[in-house]
Amino acid sequence: MAEVKVKQELTDPVEIENRIKDLCQQFPHGITDQVIQNDMPHVEAQQRAMAINRLLSVGQLDLLRNSTGLLYRLKDTQSASKMKGSDNQEKLVYQIIEDAGNKGIWSRDIRYKSNLPLTEINKILKNLESKKLIKAVKSVAASKKKVYMLYNLQPDRSVTGGAWYSDQDFESEFVEVLNQQCFKFLQGKAEVARDSKQSPMVQRNSSFATSHEVWKYICELGISKVELSMDDIETILNTLIYDGKVEMSVIAAKEGTAGCVDGQMKLYRGVNPIIQSTGLVKTPCGLCPVFDDCHEGGEISPSTCIYMTEWLDF
Amino acid sequence: MTQQEVRLCGLLLQEHFGEVVEKVAVHLLRTGAQTLRGIAQETSTPLDLVKKSLCVLAQHGMCEFRRGRRGPAGAVEYLATSERILRILRYPRYIYTAKTLYGDTGELIVEEVLQRGHMTMSGSVKTVADRLTHNMEEGRSMDYSEVVTAFSKLVETHFIQRCPPVADVGAAPPAAGPGAQAAPAAPPSPADSHPERYTLPHVKLTGRGKRRHPSEESEGEQRGAKRAKMDTSESSGDTGIYWQVNFDRFHQHFRDQAIVSAVASKLDQTSSEIVRTMLRMSEVTTTPTAACTQPLSANEIFRALPPSYSITRPVLEQYLSLLVDDPMEFVGKSGESGGGMYVVNLHKALATLSRATLESVVQERFGSRSARIFRLLLRKRHLEQKQVEDFAMIPAKEAKDMLYTLLSENLVQLQEIPKTPDHAPSRTFYLYTVNPLPTARLLLQHCYKAVGNLMERRQYETKENKRLLEKSQRIEAILASLQASGAEPSQLTEVEEMITAPERQQLQALRHHVNKLDSSENQVDETIFLLESYINSTQTSR
Amino acid sequence: MAGRGRGRGRGQLSFNMEAVGIGKGENLPPSTLQPTPPFPPMEHKPVPLQTSEEAEYMLALKQELRGAMKSLPFYIRPAAPKKDVERYSDKYQSTEPTDNTIEWDPDWKRLPKELRIRVRKPLKEKVSAVPRSSKQTGVDKEEIIRKLETLEKKEEEVSSDEEGRERKKQDEEEQEGEEEYDEEEFEEETDYIMSYFDNGEEFGGDSDDNMDEAIY
Repeated sequence: MAEVKVKQELTDPVEIENRIKDLCQQFPHGITDQVIQNDMPHVEAQQRAMAINRLLSVGQLDLLRNSTGLLYRLKDTQSASKMKGSDNQEKLVYQIIEDAGNKGIWSRDIRYKSNLPLTEINKILKNLESKKLIKAVKSVAASKKKVYMLYNLQPDRSVTGGAWYSDQDFESEFVEVLNQQCFKFLQGKAEVARDSKQSPMVQRNSSFATSHEVWKYICELGISKVELSMDDIETILNTLIYDGKVEMSVIAAKEGTAGCVDGQMKLYRGVNPIIQSTGLVKTPCGLCPVFDDCHEGGEISPSTCIYMTEWLDF
Repeated sequence: MTQQEVRLCGLLLQEHFGEVVEKVAVHLLRTGAQTLRGIAQETSTPLDLVKKSLCVLAQHGMCEFRRGRRGPAGAVEYLATSERILRILRYPRYIYTAKTLYGDTGELIVEEVLQRGHMTMSGSVKTVADRLTHNMEEGRSMDYSEVVTAFSKLVETHFIQRCPPVADVGAAPPAAGPGAQAAPAAPPSPADSHPERYTLPHVKLTGRGKRRHPSEESEGEQRGAKRAKMDTSESSGDTGIYWQVNFDRFHQHFRDQAIVSAVASKLDQTSSEIVRTMLRMSEVTTTPTAACTQPLSANEIFRALPPSYSITRPVLEQYLSLLVDDPMEFVGKSGESGGGMYVVNLHKALATLSRATLESVVQERFGSRSARIFRLLLRKRHLEQKQVEDFAMIPAKEAKDMLYTLLSENLVQLQEIPKTPDHAPSRTFYLYTVNPLPTARLLLQHCYKAVGNLMERRQYETKENKRLLEKSQRIEAILASLQASGAEPSQLTEVEEMITAPERQQLQALRHHVNKLDSSENQVDETIFLLESYINSTQTSR
Repeated sequence: MAGRGRGRGRGQLSFNMEAVGIGKGENLPPSTLQPTPPFPPMEHKPVPLQTSEEAEYMLALKQELRGAMKSLPFYIRPAAPKKDVERYSDKYQSTEPTDNTIEWDPDWKRLPKELRIRVRKPLKEKVSAVPRSSKQTGVDKEEIIRKLETLEKKEEEVSSDEEGRERKKQDEEEQEGEEEYDEEEFEEETDYIMSYFDNGEEFGGDSDDNMDEAIY
C-alpha cells in the first residue's frame, strides 16, 4: 500500500497518458502493452486501457500488429512535416480542430476561436480537407450541420448517432425491423406460455422475457451489421410499449443474473389489445382527409363522396 | 348542443317520425324552450301538426314540458331532449340485447315498447302474444302468461320501468275511473325518486295470442276481434300505468359487456368470466354511475361462479391476483377480509376503453407510427419534439410531420412554457401533450357527423334508385298474389322477367350499399356508446 | 432546436408554427399548401365491418324498425299540398291523415291540455274494404298485364323524356294508385299495430269530450 502512495501521481489519467507518450518517444518503433505494464506496475489494467483507448481515439497513438502481437506507436501526426508550407492561420485552424477531438467542431465555432473571417476559414478548411489532414462529418444532431475533425479519427457516437445511424441517416427501416423481430420473439413466448396449460400464474410468468433474453435472440438472428447493446434493445422494446403491444414490469433480481442492473431486472411480454378496431374507423368518414370540409350540398358531401362510392362498391 | 348533434337528431326523427316532427324538434333543439304558438309561428307549421308532433315527441319521452316562466298562469313551454332522441340510433342494440337475455318474447316486448314510446303492460302482453302466435305453426298459440313472465323479468331486472308520473302542467284533471289512481298528484320529481318504478301492477290477463287470417277475416269479424281486445285491456286493471325502456340499465349492461370482452381480449376467457360474475353480483348493489363496484370477497365470488367453469378456489385466487396486477387495472383489491376483497374499477375501465378507442382512430387514420407517438404522449403526458423523436425512434422530419398533422386535427395539443416573462419563442419550452377528455369529446362529435353522413348517403342511394325500387316492389307484389292464386310457373317466370338482368344487378348493388351503410351506422354507435359513457363517468366522479 | 426563430406562424393556425419546427419558408406537409383535388387519395382503407351473426341481426332489426315506424301513427305526414283536386280519392287514403286528427289515443292526462286534438275515428275502414277484398281474391291476369304495360311505358318515358312535365304529372297519378296498393300490402304485416291503437268506439265518450275541447 505504501508503494502505491509513492507513485500516486500516476493515478492521474493525464499523467498516465503523458508517460505512455514518453515511452513511445523512447521506442519510436512501437511498444507492447507489456512495456507499459512494466513501466507502471501499480497502475490498474483498467486505467491503463482507458488511457490507451483515449490516446487511440484522439489520434495520438497508432495500433499496429506484428509477429509478436499488438504494438502501440506514436502517431505520425508530425504536423511539422505535414503542415509544411502552411501559414500560421492554417496551423491555428488545424490546432483548433485537433483539440476538438473526435466530437468534431462546427465551422462557426472555429471562427469564434480563431477570430478569422469565415471566408478565410472556409478556404483553409478546403485546403486541409484536400490534403486529407481533416475531414467533414455530418452530425446527426442537426441534419445540415457539418463538424470537422482530424482525418484519421473515428467520430464519436454523439456525432454518428450510434447503432441507428449510417452516415448521418437515421435507419428507420432497421429500427422497424428490430421492432418487429423483438415483438415476434415476445409473442412467440407468450403463445408457448398460453399453450402450456399450466396454472394461470405460471403461464403469465413464463410469458415474460428479460431484456437480456431479447438481446441474445436479436444478436443470434444476425440481422444487425453493427453490434447492439442491451440499452439499444431496451430502446427498441420501449417503442413496442408505445405501440401498445408490449408491457414491461420491473422486478428485483439477484446481482449477477443475466440482464440484471442494480438489483433490478426488466421483464417484457407481448400482450393482446383490449379492443378490436373501433366502429368509427370501419367507415370512410372515420379516415376521411376532408372530413371537416364535408357538408350536404357542398362540393364535398356524403352524396358526392368518392371514398364512399369506392367503399360501397367494394 | 352542437350542430352535429342537432343534425343527427333531425335525421333520426325524420326517418322514424317524419319531417314534420323533425322540423318541430330541430327548432326546439336550436332555440331551447318554446311555447306551442311560438313553435307554430316560427316553423310556419299548422298548429294542429305542431300539436301532433309534440304529442309524438312526448309519447316517446323526447320532449319535456313545463309551466312557463311567467308563473302558473304562463303558457306551457316545450323542450326537446337531444340525448333521448339520439337513442333511436341504438334501438336495434336494445332489442337485440333483450333477445339475448330473454329470448324472442323479451325481444318483442322491448321492440314494441320502443316503437310506441310507452305502453301498458296489458297492451304490451297482448300485442306480443299475437305477434308470437302469428309466427307459430298453425293450431298453436302463445299463452299470455308466458309473455307476462318475460315482461315481469324485464321489470325485475330493471330493463323496463314505469314512466314517472307527470307533473300537472295543464293536463286534464284526472278522469274518474279505474285508472285514476295511476296518475297520483305527485310533486314534480326526478325519475330516481319514483318509488314504484319497478312495481308490477295486478293485472288480470288470461288468454292466448290471436292469429290473424287475413283472407278469412271479414270486416265484421275484424272489428269484433278488436273490440274484444280493447275490452280485455280495459278490464285488465292497469289503465294509465305505462312502461318505458330503462336506457340507463341497458347502458350499464353494455358497459359491463365491454369490460368483460376487453378482459377476454387482453387476458383470457376464464378471467373474463370471473369479471362477468363480479359484475353480475354487483348489478343490484352498485348504482349505475358508481366509480367502482361494491367490494366482493374472494369467498363470495367463488360461490357465485357458475359450476360449469370448474375453477378451484386456489386457481380463482391466482386469477384474481393476476387481474389486480394487470396494468389495465380493471380489477382492484380493496381489503384482505374474506380471502381478499375485490372491486371492478368501472370508471377506470371506461377511461381505458375510451383511450383504446382514441388510439384505434389514430392508428387506422394516420398509421401505426403516428399511433406510437400518440400513445407515447398519453403515457408521458408532456414531451418536447426531440424527446418524441428519441422515444418513438422516428426520424426528426417524419416525427415533425406527424406531430403537425395530429396537432392540426386537434388530436394533440401544444403547450408553451416560457422560461422568461417576455414569452420569446427562443426561450420557451414547447411541450406536446394529449388531453384524453377533450379528445374524446372531439371524436364523439366526429361520430355524430359520420352517422349523419352515412344516413344522408343511404337516403341518397335510395332516392337515386327510387323508380327501380318501386318497380321491383310492384312486381314482388304481383308475384305474391299470383302465387297465392296458384298461377302457372310459366306465368310467374314471365312476370319475374319484367325485371331485366341489369336492373336485377342494380337492385342487388343497392341492397348491398344500403346494408353496408346501415351496418356501419350500428357499428359507429358502438364507438359513440364508449365515448359517451366515458365522458359521463368523468362528470359523475367529480 | 434548429429552425426556431422569431415571429408568429401563419394566421389561421392555433399554434406557433415555428414551435412545431416548421420555419419560415419551409414547406408545410403537402396536404395543406398545394392546391389539392377535392378528394385527395386516402392513405388508409377503412377496417372491414363486423359481419358476425349479431351484426347481421342488428342490421335486420334496424331496417325492420325503420319500416315499422313509417306505418305507425306516430309517423306524421305533412299537410298534403294541393289536395283540392283529389278530394274524392282522399277518402280512400286510409293512412293519409288530415291535419286536425290524431291517429292514436294518447293519454291526455299525461299531456298539456293545449295539445288536445281530435282522435281519428276509424270511419274509412268500411270504404277501404272494397279494394282490399278485390286484391285478396286474387288479381286477375288482365289486370297484371295492364299494370305491367303501364310500367313498361313508364320506363320508356323515363329514358326518352327526363324532364317532361306531362310525364311527371302522370307519374304522380300513378303513384297515388300504387301507393294505395302498397299500403294494403304493408298493412298485412303491421295490422296488429293498427289494431292496437284503433280504439274503435269504446273510447267514444272520452274522445267526444276531447273533440269538444280540441275544435277551435
